[in-house]
Amino acid sequence: MAKLAFYFDSSRCSACKGCQAACKTWNSLPSPLGQDENPFTGSYQSPLDLNGDTRLLISFSEVAGGSKGVEWSFGRRSCFHCTNAGCVQVCPSGALAHDEETGMVRVTEDKCIGCQYCKYSCPFNVPRHYGYNDKINKCTSCLDRVSHDRQPACVKTCQSETLMFGSRDELLAKANERVAKLQEQGFERAAVYGGNELGGLGLIVVAHHGIESLSLPANPRISGMVNLLDILKPLAGLGAAAVLAGLGVSFLTGIGYERHKLRYDEETHDIIDDETNEVLAHFDFDEEE
Amino acid sequence: MARYIKRHSLQARITHDVFAVSGILLFLTGLFVFIPPLADAAPATTVYVIRIAHRVIGFIFILVPIISAILAPGGFKHYLSNYFRRWNKEDITWMKKFIPYMLAPKKVHMPNQPELKSGQVVADGALMLGAIVMAISGLFLVFGTWFVDLSAGLMVFMRLLHNIGFIWMIVFVIPHIYLGAGIFQPYRKTARLMFGDGKVSESDALYHWGNWAAEEFEKGEKVVEEDD
Repeated sequence: MAKLAFYFDSSRCSACKGCQAACKTWNSLPSPLGQDENPFTGSYQSPLDLNGDTRLLISFSEVAGGSKGVEWSFGRRSCFHCTNAGCVQVCPSGALAHDEETGMVRVTEDKCIGCQYCKYSCPFNVPRHYGYNDKINKCTSCLDRVSHDRQPACVKTCQSETLMFGSRDELLAKANERVAKLQEQGFERAAVYGGNELGGLGLIVVAHHGIESLSLPANPRISGMVNLLDILKPLAGLGAAAVLAGLGVSFLTGIGYERHKLRYDEETHDIIDDETNEVLAHFDFDEEE
Repeated sequence: MARYIKRHSLQARITHDVFAVSGILLFLTGLFVFIPPLADAAPATTVYVIRIAHRVIGFIFILVPIISAILAPGGFKHYLSNYFRRWNKEDITWMKKFIPYMLAPKKVHMPNQPELKSGQVVADGALMLGAIVMAISGLFLVFGTWFVDLSAGLMVFMRLLHNIGFIWMIVFVIPHIYLGAGIFQPYRKTARLMFGDGKVSESDALYHWGNWAAEEFEKGEKVVEEDD
């Protein structure tokens, strides 16, 4: 389980997108800067989803707010750094792995071979790929900063204490306290997300309008087919070994065997052993005709 | 002088050989994705090149038999008819005796067979089925990552299918090479059929496909005489 974690409190987020910009800045991720280069999407959410250049996105949802009319529910869309991470499970090259010290899902871009299996194994549909060789782009939890005792770029820039980073246990306790307080304040659907999902997530979310408002799956699961893939590999080895062993025995029993030459006699329609002159088979072509 | 039967045309041999070599290359390049420690050990650029090579070779693997079938529709029809022929008692006896024969070829004698043995129908048919599964699932994996955005469930399913096809192919390709390359003693010289001039000697033809060889000797159209 992750030892460290992100904390995101939707009740404090003002959707300033400072985290989104800081992520791009620190990680040198390009963004269209010219006038009208970002197409209008009909939403303040921009871009509409994660992409090869965007690993962190503030999502915008409208929630019925009772007497207050419509309220916003802002969410953080990025890697959840799952303990049971489908992406780590399927990565064939070791590009994705859990960082031993923090428990976050580390990206070693140099090792990425662009197969995109991670994208299709992630219950949150987070990994994206970029460039001609389809390298992965996802939140790295700024391990390059964290390893030097600095906060991830998004956390460092957050002014409203929406985002925090630190001990997972402490942040989970904080999230539970916060939810209890929010419920007292009338946010009945307030909930913590990430405590136990997929073995515990490395992103703890306080959803003050409930997890549905952030479009988070209630019970995220790794596809059974992904688990089946793990079984197939030893099965392939076993199958190959069994076939080779069987053929090895066959080869040994065949050593030294010299077949007698055979010939065909068109007059008698016989297959004849050339060495013993024994008739091995006779064909009745004339009768058939 | 010795007699031979012309069994496989040049086009059939080229089709088979390109298909076989590309299949082996697909197996080797595919290992770098199938076995993570292999990809982990090699530089990412190398693995990337291997992965792209896997896809390019994959297209050759798919296109060559299709082109061949288009170029020779009659031959393709004849090829298919061998797989969908009616089985007789000798075919069933051949199948029953196959494993004992593989383990004791000196003692177990197989019944005469037509142009395609019943065992070949099953084993080569299984190979073709595996190749079709690999081709279709492979195309989905290529198009789903390069050209269109397919659903995650479909992509994982296709990868699963590709892996199952891979195991299936391992189980049938290894014996195919063992027999086809003539590693098994009674099958010596069979490599010549597909990787040589496509001719089979009188003795080998009668041993492997007795019914077919007898018919060919009666007709005489494909029979040639050569120096020993």
